[in-house]
Amino acid sequence: MENKIKKVMSAVFDMPVEEINNESSPDTIESWDSLKHMNLVVALEEEFEIEFTLEQIIEMVNYSLIKIIINNLIEI
Amino acid sequence: MSSMKNLKYSEILKINAELGNTANSNSYNISVLSNVTMNQIKEILEYALRKKKINANVKIGDYDNIVQDSLKYKDSSLVFVFWEICNLIDGLQYKIELFNDNDLNGLFEKAKSEIDLVFKNLPNTSLVIFNKFSSLTFSNSNIRKNNLDRLADKLNQYLEKRIPENVRLVDLEKVIAIVGVENSLDLRYYYSSKALYTVDFFKAYAEYVKPFIMSANGKAKKALIFDCDNTLWKGILGEDGFDNIEMSPKTKDGAIFYEIQNIAISLNKQGILLGLCSKNNPADVDEVINSHPDMQLRNEHITVNKSNWSNKVANLKEITHELNIGLDSLVFVDDSSFEVNLIREQLPEITVLQVPERLYNYPKILRENMGLFYNLSFTAEDRKKIKMYKQQVKRESVKKEFTDIDDYLASLELKMTIHQDDKSIIPRMSQMSQKTNQFNLTTKRYTEGDIKSFITNEKSAIFALSVSDKFGDSGITGLCVLNFDSINKTADIDTFLMSCRIIGRNIEYAFMDYLMNYLNQNKIEKVTSKYVKTLKNEQVKGFYDKCSFSLEKSNNKMKEYTLIIENYKSKNIKYIDINYGK
Repeated sequence: MENKIKKVMSAVFDMPVEEINNESSPDTIESWDSLKHMNLVVALEEEFEIEFTLEQIIEMVNYSLIKIIINNLIEI
Repeated sequence: MSSMKNLKYSEILKINAELGNTANSNSYNISVLSNVTMNQIKEILEYALRKKKINANVKIGDYDNIVQDSLKYKDSSLVFVFWEICNLIDGLQYKIELFNDNDLNGLFEKAKSEIDLVFKNLPNTSLVIFNKFSSLTFSNSNIRKNNLDRLADKLNQYLEKRIPENVRLVDLEKVIAIVGVENSLDLRYYYSSKALYTVDFFKAYAEYVKPFIMSANGKAKKALIFDCDNTLWKGILGEDGFDNIEMSPKTKDGAIFYEIQNIAISLNKQGILLGLCSKNNPADVDEVINSHPDMQLRNEHITVNKSNWSNKVANLKEITHELNIGLDSLVFVDDSSFEVNLIREQLPEITVLQVPERLYNYPKILRENMGLFYNLSFTAEDRKKIKMYKQQVKRESVKKEFTDIDDYLASLELKMTIHQDDKSIIPRMSQMSQKTNQFNLTTKRYTEGDIKSFITNEKSAIFALSVSDKFGDSGITGLCVLNFDSINKTADIDTFLMSCRIIGRNIEYAFMDYLMNYLNQNKIEKVTSKYVKTLKNEQVKGFYDKCSFSLEKSNNKMKEYTLIIENYKSKNIKYIDINYGK
């Protein structure tokens, strides 16, 4: 799962997979603005066949949080 | 058919970035102006076009800044206007039902004046794709027409009335119909960020508008070539016989082939060339074309017929040669997997369609691919053209009898007519700049709006020529744009092109003679010109050298020339009679 998330993030932010880590967030990734965040949400939903709530979308502001939220959605 | 449909959004992002990095053609700049957030269209549209070798670069305008952005992005090659009716003012989808007549009228007037401003700001943009207004997103389930529906209707009527030459309207509701209202919308972001559409919608939209852009880039298909047995009729002519092949509307399978033939005829009426490429005895096929009572395609529709026992790769190559068009201008239809795969492998530039196993889907497949032939401008020339290609085939056979080419050309009784700054042929002149790939020195694409400005601008002149000979009239088939600098007494040849169907008659030299004489009479002393290399215009790389221009600069993309008009060596072609149009 972690690899899948990283792969999606690398496509959305147009950067190498290796550069994505637990600390990756809008503070460390320059292109991660609100519009790119929307793209990220759509791409992750498609990848994992899930749908985020609006609250989750607002919460998922770094790689670790994205992992936790997707984990919760998949387990249910 | 859509290749994007099965791709995930993240895959599109990734491949698009790679395509962008490896693209080596000039950038085709697109701007998207909208009053809703639609940043996801960027990579999806880029991907769809880069896959077709158009190096698209999409810029999204500022949110809800359509009027201002129409000024800012007027120099793009293509501008999209994506005006969402429910955000004409914030919350219109519910507010409008509470409006009184005065409010409604005020809103209509405001929208109208904004539309006018946008059109006014984009007069010289090559192509503007403007979505028609749609109330579908917020009122698809109400039975009675509401105010939103009525406003959309009125605005669309206004658009149809006011639409300038460089604008094409898109029926947004057809695109929504492809994916369905439910799958087109994602309302999660509407109230916070005014984003409305889904990735699925953008994919369908990109596919829907692709034909406009292909045509603007000179990539529309020009000819449709059919196999015969089980492609134009049911059955195998050589085995089943003349009386047993089926294409009658009265039989179950025959009706399908009858429909196919009629679709082909409708394309032919729009200027698409039709041809046959089948393994059959030529005399047998001729007999069907000439005298089978159910056959719809007759000699008048079929420009080229390769019914023989040679292989289809060779035949299709010959077809492009005879019609003087590129392999990538052909669409070929065949029922045999062997032939389909052979052509796809050997001639990948050709678009190949296979007759489906479920025969009832055959007309649908052909219809879905009509966009390949879409042309931005459709003129009377298209109808004429078909006749002319036929004359060309006739001319080729006359050619063989002459040993000396000048004797042959003299026997043709060539007449050239020059039309200078002629407003009545603007659509044709624009179309030529967009469609001519081979005999084209600079390959600049111009819209009707561009052409108009050459006519009205004093510092430029646009010349078109038509050619006739004893076999018929070729119509408008050559174009030249000149820009002047009368202070320095210089001129520049911005565009010089000829339709390939008149090549080989020295018309280009007679045209150049005429232009140089014109410049001389207008006191111009020096003229500059360029050859800009493309994949298709190899044949004219030495044209200016042959016209006695001196090469000034040269690299692998471009050659720049100058000529002191005094030193011009006229070719003095005696057998072309020159007339002047109005």
